[in-house]
Amino acid sequence: MAHLEPYGGDYFSFVLIGIAFSGYLMTALRSFSESIRGEQMMGTLEAMLVTPTDTSAIVTLSSLWSFIFMSFRVLMYLLIGILLGVDMSNANIFAALIILVLTIICFGSIGIISASFIMVLKRGDPINMFFMSTSELFGGVLFPISVLPEWLQTISHILPITYSLSGMRHALLQGYSLSALAPEIIALSIFSVVLVPLGLLSFTYAVKRAKMDGSLVQY
Amino acid sequence: MRYTIETCELTKKFGLQKGFTDFFLHPFRKDEITAVEEVNIKIEKGELFGILGPNGAGKTTLIKMLCTLILPSEGTAHINGYDLVKDSGKVRRSIGFITSDERSFYWRLTGRQNLKFFASLHNYYSNDAEVRIDELLSLVGLKDRADDEFLSYSAGMKQRMAIARGLLNDPAVLFMDEPTKALDPGAAQNLRGFIKEHIIGDEGKTVFLSTHNLPEAEELCDRIAIIDEGRIKVIGTLEGLKDALDKPDPGLNDVFLHYTGKEFKEVAPKRAYSGRRGVMRGFRGGRRGGLRF
Repeated sequence: MAHLEPYGGDYFSFVLIGIAFSGYLMTALRSFSESIRGEQMMGTLEAMLVTPTDTSAIVTLSSLWSFIFMSFRVLMYLLIGILLGVDMSNANIFAALIILVLTIICFGSIGIISASFIMVLKRGDPINMFFMSTSELFGGVLFPISVLPEWLQTISHILPITYSLSGMRHALLQGYSLSALAPEIIALSIFSVVLVPLGLLSFTYAVKRAKMDGSLVQY
Repeated sequence: MRYTIETCELTKKFGLQKGFTDFFLHPFRKDEITAVEEVNIKIEKGELFGILGPNGAGKTTLIKMLCTLILPSEGTAHINGYDLVKDSGKVRRSIGFITSDERSFYWRLTGRQNLKFFASLHNYYSNDAEVRIDELLSLVGLKDRADDEFLSYSAGMKQRMAIARGLLNDPAVLFMDEPTKALDPGAAQNLRGFIKEHIIGDEGKTVFLSTHNLPEAEELCDRIAIIDEGRIKVIGTLEGLKDALDKPDPGLNDVFLHYTGKEFKEVAPKRAYSGRRGVMRGFRGGRRGGLRF
């Protein structure tokens, strides 16, 4: 229980936020690469890429629905949680929205890097593998990272999901102010500053490489 | 800008995937196959230019390079005055690509919905798109079936829909990759008539058409380039090409034989590129290229 104290002490509330918002990471990791793969398999990608619309815009907008649907799912999770007694009366909605925007930027960038690997390698994307296998275990989805041995917590600290979930719990369950959420906001901002250009560069390179190889529409 | 399409020494080489043993025995060796080699073409506005060659000769690779879907390895090309690599966005704005692949549509959507979707990718929205789509559906004779699902269309209707999509942005240049490939002789003849009458006659487009169909090339093209093993062997008008032969009333088949030294149907694509998997299949003694004459 002591490990849950920083989040209000209630495990159900803790795990509800964890499961609800970790869905964004899974959506980001899947949707970008799946949108490319889907169009490749249907045979429509080539017809799309010969239009003036930029490849990155096509991939990003193709994934938009997945994020909207995920947001709807998160809302449902939270509503059901409230009906089952989760106390969000002190929630700082504005701060939660800021954390959410930063979360989507970070996770989206990771998803675009993952899609870049898919575009070049076609299968076996290491980014997806790394984040899928580590985030649930080390990112604080099902239990606080403080229960992990200290050396394993190092892994948690290099994962954006750790800061995202921690910030979201503090904002929604305990109503932390923006200044109190500064550590999470700063960490997520740093991740964004690094991941956004990395995502754009890797995707630009991947498209160029696929066009060089003539493998743009191969899957 | 004198020429609508102009290429200079345009070349495409594809790297071959290494086998496990090659990876260790020759780690620095770069195995490549040349799909298109030093292509020089100049096409004027309003011309219907045909590129004729057997499967695997490099026609599709050349068209895809000119449509910015594949980057050239060497050489340059300009479409409507825009550099193919540096101004690829502007090139795409000024071209239409008509493929024979009927999978390039969403089969569960109606013809109209498909066109609306692709119109939005060309930055046409709401009323502008509706008007343009109606015009094109009338042009290709599909207005009555526009609200039926794409999957219910015949092969000829699907190809007409591909033409409508290629014309959405009112492009100056149309690239057609074997447009009659999947059609029966009657439907193919109708489509050829449509291309000649409407696309060239009414719309005045510059058309770059690839085909492995001799009668099609003879019937449609103002000028023809014969491509074999990635190289352009000759370019000229059909009459000009025939005049160079010492044979009474020669056909395009004779022209091909004269300039390539091969019967059209005998061409086996030993060097020809048909995608990486195709190449590997070829080396392992699998399918040796489809020959349609």
